Amino acid sequence: MKLSFNVNQRDVTVDVDGAEPLLHVLRERLKLTGTKQGCDEGECGACTVLVDGRPVDSCILPAGVVAGRQIRTVESLAGPDGQLAAIQQSFVDRFAIQCGFCTPGFLMTLTALLEENPRPEETEIRGALSGNLCRCTGYSTIVDAALAATGDDQ
Amino acid sequence: MEFRSAESVDEALAWLTELGDEAQVLAGGTDVMLQHMRREITPSVFLHIGRLDTLREITANDGMSIGPLISHRTLATDPRIARSMPALTEAAETVGSWQTQEVGTVGGNLCNASPAADTVPPLLVAGAVVELSSTGHRRNMPLDEFLVGRRSTARRSTELLTGISADAVSPGTGETYLKVGRRSAMEVAIVGLAVRLTVDPDDTVTSARVAVCSVAPHPYRATAVELILEGSHMEPDVIAEAGRALTASASPIDDARASADYRGRVMPHLLERAIGACLHRARAGRKGL
Repeated sequence: MKLSFNVNQRDVTVDVDGAEPLLHVLRERLKLTGTKQGCDEGECGACTVLVDGRPVDSCILPAGVVAGRQIRTVESLAGPDGQLAAIQQSFVDRFAIQCGFCTPGFLMTLTALLEENPRPEETEIRGALSGNLCRCTGYSTIVDAALAATGDDQ
Repeated sequence: MEFRSAESVDEALAWLTELGDEAQVLAGGTDVMLQHMRREITPSVFLHIGRLDTLREITANDGMSIGPLISHRTLATDPRIARSMPALTEAAETVGSWQTQEVGTVGGNLCNASPAADTVPPLLVAGAVVELSSTGHRRNMPLDEFLVGRRSTARRSTELLTGISADAVSPGTGETYLKVGRRSAMEVAIVGLAVRLTVDPDDTVTSARVAVCSVAPHPYRATAVELILEGSHMEPDVIAEAGRALTASASPIDDARASADYRGRVMPHLLERAIGACLHRARAGRKGL
């Protein structure tokens, strides 16, 4: 099927199998490889992207359902001049990245959280991140980075 | 595989009439996509219904009407659900993660008919009735008749789940959903228990509804337990008897998450806690708190 949607402010049309996971369309057809393939079964959150502002696991989302929708991936966060978004800079400053594989997913979930609630409590941050797994950091630095990005911990 | 996205309920029903079990209905896809990727299902057509906004409405009166395309996230956050069906709010909060709650739907949870479906026990204690539509025909069925086995429902291949209705809680009624898992996030229930109690001002139980998941091929109402509680004042020996009856009603299995023995042992304790929570809420509701 011909599938049209908007990704990172760009209208795209691709020829896909509607049942193909959105993750594959983003990575293999559109070469947006910032979004990672982790568990491939909706458990780990590495593939999190925003659909109309809401975080979803793109590995188990059939591409056909996003016709006409707005998708945002991690590539959309930094400015055209390479200036990092506040949440990205906060991850760098607080050492919230080790191997980095889970990072795009965490950044997208936190982007959705901070747009919905600019000053979340720590428990809200931990709740929002319950579908994002990190095997390196132990999460503390990630939560610290998210809190710092709210402005409460500067 | 062909992918069709329906623009109206009538269009979806016409396609179901044409395709029958060649079609796999797709709402959010959190279960269907996994089954497709694991080749557990091999439909010729994915019939996407996610754009049917008429199936995404909530009406809250004495009776609740919940559109089958309502997401778990909406169930967990909508104030009308929290007020009228708080056990359903609690259950939806425990399903998967934010990412899967945004996409997964209550109708999908019912039709997927997992033994561990979290939204089912709260809907069972709310006396839920499902509406099944096919071209030119519509029928209603109590949810406990709809669920016929592990991953098996009474839905015919030409039918679409088009409505869910249920009783809201009233003053003097309290309900809760409690879930045992190994961790608090991304967990499939080891045991899930919903209880709805209506009590008199003197704490006599006038109505009891108890339903469980993850301890049998499908979630079910434990009517033997309900009969023990009704008419009682929830004395310790009554609660103990009800707990034994709950364990006796179940047919749990050993699996990766827990043993059958553990499931049987945990149920009476969960029931006791749930009864306490229901009583607290029923009293608070009567005082208008």
